Amino acid sequence: MNKKKFSLNIFILTLIFLYLPLVVLIVQSFNSGMGVAWDGFSLKWYDELFNHSARLWQSFRYSILIALTSAIISTAIGTLGAISLQWYSFKHKKYLQVISYLPLVLPDIIMGVSLLILFTSIKFKLGLMTIFLAHTTFNIPFVLFIVLSRLYDFDYSIVEAAYDLGATEKQALTKVILPNLMPGIISGLLMSITLSLDDFVITFFVAGPGSSTLPLHIYSMIKFGVSPIINALSVILIAGTIALAMSTKKIQKYMVN
Amino acid sequence: MKNQRSGLVYSAPITLWLTLLFVAPTLIVIVYSFLKKGIYGGVEWIFSVDGYNFFSSSYFLKVVWNTVEISVIATVITVLIAIPTALYIATSKYKNFLLFLIIVPFWTNFLIRIYSWIALLGNNGLLNNLLMKLGLEPHQFIYNKFAVILVSVYAYLPYAILPLYSAIEKFDFAIIDAARDLGASKMKAYTKTFLPNIKPGVVTATLFTFIPALGSYAIPKLVGGNDSQMLGNIIARELTITRNWPKAAAISTILTIITVIFIVVLSKYDKDHKGGKV
Amino acid sequence: MKKSIILILMLLTLIGCGKEQKNELYLFNWSDYIPNEVITDFENETGIKVITDYYSSNEEMYAKIKAGGDGYDITVPSTDYAEIMMKQGMLEKIDKSKIPNLKELNEEIGSKISFDKNHDYIIPYSVGATGIAVNTKYAKDFERSFDIYNRKDLKGKMTLLDDMREVMSSALIIAGHSPESSDPQDLADAQKIILGWKENILKFDSESFGKGFTNGEYLVVHGYYENIVAHMTDEQAQNMVFFIPEKGSQMYIDSMAILKGAKNIENAYKFIDYIYRPEVYVKILDYLETPSINIGANKLRETKPVYDVEDLKDAYLMKDLGEALAPQSEVWNEILTQ
Repeated sequence: MNKKKFSLNIFILTLIFLYLPLVVLIVQSFNSGMGVAWDGFSLKWYDELFNHSARLWQSFRYSILIALTSAIISTAIGTLGAISLQWYSFKHKKYLQVISYLPLVLPDIIMGVSLLILFTSIKFKLGLMTIFLAHTTFNIPFVLFIVLSRLYDFDYSIVEAAYDLGATEKQALTKVILPNLMPGIISGLLMSITLSLDDFVITFFVAGPGSSTLPLHIYSMIKFGVSPIINALSVILIAGTIALAMSTKKIQKYMVN
Repeated sequence: MKNQRSGLVYSAPITLWLTLLFVAPTLIVIVYSFLKKGIYGGVEWIFSVDGYNFFSSSYFLKVVWNTVEISVIATVITVLIAIPTALYIATSKYKNFLLFLIIVPFWTNFLIRIYSWIALLGNNGLLNNLLMKLGLEPHQFIYNKFAVILVSVYAYLPYAILPLYSAIEKFDFAIIDAARDLGASKMKAYTKTFLPNIKPGVVTATLFTFIPALGSYAIPKLVGGNDSQMLGNIIARELTITRNWPKAAAISTILTIITVIFIVVLSKYDKDHKGGKV
Repeated sequence: MKKSIILILMLLTLIGCGKEQKNELYLFNWSDYIPNEVITDFENETGIKVITDYYSSNEEMYAKIKAGGDGYDITVPSTDYAEIMMKQGMLEKIDKSKIPNLKELNEEIGSKISFDKNHDYIIPYSVGATGIAVNTKYAKDFERSFDIYNRKDLKGKMTLLDDMREVMSSALIIAGHSPESSDPQDLADAQKIILGWKENILKFDSESFGKGFTNGEYLVVHGYYENIVAHMTDEQAQNMVFFIPEKGSQMYIDSMAILKGAKNIENAYKFIDYIYRPEVYVKILDYLETPSINIGANKLRETKPVYDVEDLKDAYLMKDLGEALAPQSEVWNEILTQ
């Protein structure tokens, strides 16, 4: 099929486009020197990473913690919200429809500062919790719209069939609706993790003292040149995630679906 | 049987959350845009519309034009690349693995990836070094509009691929075969059955790319140049350097209003696809 | 289902649990401004745990604190922002009796802080100047001034700081005007000069000028010495000249300030006093390679700074612009978008 070959070609080109900077990054992690020029193979950055970078690892842990929790919560809230918008009517539906677009629109520096002002005015202590709250907030619309677009042509008759067979609402949700929404939910989850891991500006403003995340840590290194330790960390992260994904039997089974 | 009260239950978490943590800050921004600026930043609680004078700045229109131009081009390219990519993934046997493969690069830090692009595109970078080795003239690939668009496309691709994947995945490709059996050409089969069906996904992908692009400022700051100052840069400078919080808030408010109008128009255009069942 | 809820609750508790520790000090500081050794030695000696968050510009730091970001004990503003913070009541008044080592302060520098002559609110941490670095392998025969930015043969290989205050102040001084001017004609003159420079620079860069210089991407950069030499090889250092321009040069004094409402004030005093010990400050001098604000440390230091206090006598020390900020910013925005 010509279309299949076309999309395959685009896919491969896209993959190359996406991985090109990654290749540079991986190569640089083994570069003895700090500049672009190749200075000889070295594992010294990995050594630095594993032996002398306690603060970096702490930022890394915080980033993962917040990414996972905010992704899970925002996916749950966003999915339920999408279901409510698609199939139900309720008093505040129009209001919800309007406000769910908004977080996409506000530039992140404005959102960061205004959230900080909000937290301060209600005397909410800044810390990891405020970062978590902020990340979940900006993730929700992304999940919402991804799941919504999946719901648009959802064949509702299968749900009705479930009810006819005596399913309770909870059973209909967990056994019929959610499984069918799964690709949308997974997309939303992946999107949220990605957004959270990378956020810098909003996090800068709402972070509490000592709750540095990875992007904050990296940004603080810019003026002096971001050390290839970060490249080494990124390589570990990528390798680790791929290894984790491949090794988990359940996920593997799901992959080949 | 389906409980009408369920609508409230399902919608409560999101409504509460967004109201507290999003609507409230947005109101703060709008209120601040109508206050007098504090001499040292912050605001004084006196009503003023001075913040909205930004229209009169000579550079403002140029920046708005840059922003719209760059965002539109980046969005179009991104979505055009994302559709076949998402199509391939959705129709593949290893769809979850491929999806994962696409996302993983984006779990390396954004700044690092940008620096990698600078290493590739810079005047003393890999690409130019390659060109010179081949005896060609080095070219200015960076610190200009081209770089901003390229890096924006790079940054926003997952924002477009994920929703498109979600929308395409449920498309029953047997319809295409059926259409072809009925004599339609391949082109027609796709345009008349596939594309209309994934329109919500395309709309979402467009929104996810265009709107963040409008407000972006890290990319133009790092790889942009004189021809690529964007609205986000102006807002950030007004807030931090000029310390004119009302002005920064005013520009953001106008940006928000215009985008909301854009979204409302777009979703009205799309309304025949909302299959609501209540 | 139940298991996942428990898991989520556990994760949330991890986030919600603030570590309640006793003896702490929270710093909000420039990145890479205090060598790790100094911090660790302080922690070992006093048992106080030092937790630092970083910023890379006064503006970010100020925006965050102004909008309510508290929890820090010490921050390190430059003079212009120190003045603003002092005027806004954001700083604690300092009890100098708690900082006996303050006597080591070189008043030749300390007295330049006109708005806090008695050091009631800020205690100087370091002094330095913005300079220009030139890659002498490719650029020869240049005057040690901003005039290098008018050279067409170096076009596209130079950068200026992406910093309105720095560039505007320098241009205004070169045009013969006050760097704090808001007069439209003065600003127009400065704008003309900057636009002339702009034609020859590749970009305005405040983040990567050091890296760009070391990479060979830029041959002439405007910035701070410590960032430029951070990752240089010896060979590269031999081919570099760093100078402070004859006219239009800017100096800075960054100072430690205790934020109002700080929870660990006693620890803050201990820290500031510790930094002022000559044997401690000399480590900072070796690290930053700047001129010394500490008399005792200056006697102990073995390395010579690239430039010293005498080189700064004509330099402009940044003050807050007050009402002139808005018109200057407008001109800057115009310059950037042209």
